[in-house]
Amino acid sequence: MAEENTQNQTQKTTATPQRFEIAVLPLQNTTLFPETVVPLAVGRERSVKAVESALATEEKLICCITTRTENVNGQDAKPSDIYEVGTIGNIKRMMRAEDVLQLIVQGIDRVRVLEWTQERPYLKAKVEILPHPAISDNEEVEALKRNIQGMIQEALALLPQVPPEVRMAVMNQNNPVQLAYFLGSVLDLGAENEQKMLEAGTVDELLTLMHASLARELEIMQIRSKIATEAQTEMDKSQRDYVLRQQLKAIQKELGEDDGERAEAAQLRERLETADLPEEVRKEADRELRRMEQLPQAAPDYHVIRTYLEYILELPWKKSSEEKLDLNEARRILDEDHYGLEDIKDRILESLAVVKLRPDSKSPIILFVGPPGVGKTSLGRSIARALGREFDRISLGGVRDEAELRGHRRTYVGARPGRIIQTLRRVKVNNPVLMLDEIDKLGNDYRGDPAAALLEILDPAQNNSFRDHYLDLPFDLSKVFFIATANQLAPIPAPLRDRMEIISLAGYSDAEKLNIAKQYLIPRQIKENGLSDEQLEITDDAINLLTARYTREAGVRQLERTVGNLARKVALRVAQGTATEKVTITAGDIKGFLGAPRFYPEEARNDLPAGVATGMAWTEMGGEVLFIEATMLPGGGGLTLTGQLGEVMKESAMAARSYLWSHAQEFGIDPNAIKENGIHLHVPAGAIPKDGPSAGVTMASAMASLYTGRKVRSDTAMTGEITLSGLVFPVGGIKEKVLAAHRAGIRRIILPQKNEADIEEIPEDVRRELQIFPAVRINDVLDAALQDAPTEPEGKNYVIQDVERRSERTGETFIAKEK
Amino acid sequence: MGSSKNVKPSGRLWYPSADVYQTPDGWLVKVELAGVSAEDTEIEIQGNVLYIAGTRRDKMCKAVGVSYHQMEITYSRFEKTLQFPASIEGASIEHNFDNGLLIIRLWKGEKAKP
Repeated sequence: MAEENTQNQTQKTTATPQRFEIAVLPLQNTTLFPETVVPLAVGRERSVKAVESALATEEKLICCITTRTENVNGQDAKPSDIYEVGTIGNIKRMMRAEDVLQLIVQGIDRVRVLEWTQERPYLKAKVEILPHPAISDNEEVEALKRNIQGMIQEALALLPQVPPEVRMAVMNQNNPVQLAYFLGSVLDLGAENEQKMLEAGTVDELLTLMHASLARELEIMQIRSKIATEAQTEMDKSQRDYVLRQQLKAIQKELGEDDGERAEAAQLRERLETADLPEEVRKEADRELRRMEQLPQAAPDYHVIRTYLEYILELPWKKSSEEKLDLNEARRILDEDHYGLEDIKDRILESLAVVKLRPDSKSPIILFVGPPGVGKTSLGRSIARALGREFDRISLGGVRDEAELRGHRRTYVGARPGRIIQTLRRVKVNNPVLMLDEIDKLGNDYRGDPAAALLEILDPAQNNSFRDHYLDLPFDLSKVFFIATANQLAPIPAPLRDRMEIISLAGYSDAEKLNIAKQYLIPRQIKENGLSDEQLEITDDAINLLTARYTREAGVRQLERTVGNLARKVALRVAQGTATEKVTITAGDIKGFLGAPRFYPEEARNDLPAGVATGMAWTEMGGEVLFIEATMLPGGGGLTLTGQLGEVMKESAMAARSYLWSHAQEFGIDPNAIKENGIHLHVPAGAIPKDGPSAGVTMASAMASLYTGRKVRSDTAMTGEITLSGLVFPVGGIKEKVLAAHRAGIRRIILPQKNEADIEEIPEDVRRELQIFPAVRINDVLDAALQDAPTEPEGKNYVIQDVERRSERTGETFIAKEK
Repeated sequence: MGSSKNVKPSGRLWYPSADVYQTPDGWLVKVELAGVSAEDTEIEIQGNVLYIAGTRRDKMCKAVGVSYHQMEITYSRFEKTLQFPASIEGASIEHNFDNGLLIIRLWKGEKAKP
């Protein structure tokens, strides 16, 4: 068969188009390209028949044509559902697996269907072979080919799993048509795109299609790769953490610090089991402990839970201190710790008696109101001592965050329970005497109102299940004996005030201070400074000098400091050996020890000019006397008010003037004098703000004195609110005011009649020296206050520069507010 | 499908394996072509290239009641192109089938000429 064939290879393989009939295998979602090999699974009965008929031929040829995508359904495809261009292929391998034929088919040539000749039992068509795609523009084809190869290179960089042989095959494929067909079969470009490529009649068209599809694929691949890289980074970090943690565990094990966390959890569990906890608390604690056991020690929540559990374990859920209440003993303790205060002690004992008779009753909530240094805090301590209970105090001054009292939710970093729960943990019993100091100094802002939290804490009906935000468990506060203290009642919100039994402590009189100093302060200071009774004695007149000239206060704190000062100076001498005998300090020695007196007694001014009257004011420090000065402005008009007066005080000045004007005849005043002359009213000291209605009678007296020319008696002081119809209304703070007036040497006091009951509060020794005039109307006041006849020419003004009073007040600012 | 006998697809489908020996007087070529009949084989020489082509046909499938359960042998058209280091144009050729192998002998031109 040595055939001399001069035909070259190309001519040989490019056979002229032929027409023939062939079995057709419809393909779904895949396309067979010439020169490529695809695996196919054939299960449909008609398709199996087509394959079998193809296998029954000598050359095993079959025509594969793709079904139009939109017509893919469960039915056998009709000729109209099938594209017209397909590929004839040679079945290279066939395996039967149950009813399915596994084929490997190699594409040979593109064909076009001319005519469908058979539909059953399998599709058969008359086809013609299509020529190879022709090149119409060499440059364009070359450019496209290079572009495609560039993209393939990029794609392969993203696909490390592609074996090197494939890379080589792709990169070295120089025939653009074969390259395109190969890529079409390898990549999943979608049946429609693949069919278009198969139908492409020229290489240009084929490559353009390929280029577009490949560009899209490449982009998708790049995005996927980016996502995968990011996910990978995340994974790597957490894996690294995990590995390190495992290593840490191994190291700890080696070091014998084995299983620190489990030991800790076990310890907590043991404590939890032995602790006496309410059921609800135990359940919650159990749950938290289980959570903790599942967490690694490094988890932030681990420590949060551990702290929380420790807190729960340390709280006195059921632990109370034993009650040993003996009322006689209580009385003795109160007397021992405090001088005087008889009424207050009685009221405290009454409250304690109720506690004794009904131990299960709600504890009373007591509020001590009074100036600083009168013994509010130490009374609380004495009550705790009398009851035999633990004592602790919480200072509320400046607390303005609700969370201070009620705690922060555990979700916050650094969350802690509120002050109430913290204190209970500290005292370790659930029935302490808890002092809420300075309850009137509570602040509030956008973070919430702590007073509102106190409402719950101090309500016996609610506080048996107080929920701290941190604990989030109900804690029974009903056994706690709450005592609150305040300097003033006014700033305390009414609902809060309402929950408490208010006990007022006024200031002490000089006589009381003397006794307190002798019985408490001096012995205490002697002891604190390391002296003994044999080394220091302070005489009564020395003490009186201290209270009058070296201190100015309602309480005794400053007095105690001053006594301490004396004691230290004596201690120095004793230590230096210069004082070998007992040192007795008399009034005459004081100046040598402490220097010049710091205060001068608020002595009543002798002989007040017309237009000046003595009033009394209440301050947080106790009482004071103040002078109201009025002067006529001839030819002027209206009423000028100076001295930092508040609205209420200004209005009461206007009322006083109006009343006098309207009743001018009655008081022997010429109405024209009022009409034609202005009046200026000043209340020294000018730098101290003052407000309140209680200076009404004083201002009226000053003005009446100015208009009538009758002087106000200089030994008389007054207080009381006035109305426009001339009535005198009661005011507060009588005891402090009267004590102050007495200190200043005043012996006649004008008070509203309705305040007569308050006179009882004034210590006996003071009261004895006073002449008290109750007033119902302004007329009563003026009768008692004004001297009988004009002693100065009418209209003359006297203004006294009150140098002395100013100097006393230096550096001290307070608001002289009405009680 | 009788008409498929006339089909002459353009593509090459499979490539049989071949051994080439150099002999003192020429070349010996051995091609693995089991099941191919002599009349279905073409051999050509062009310059230094030996070109073998043909078709393996499956005759057994024609029997009545016979169908494939498994098929692994490749049928249809094959091609084999062998390059020689020197031109073999004009060499004399002799070939025969032996146990499923096509044996081709090439004698150098000088010897063949006489």
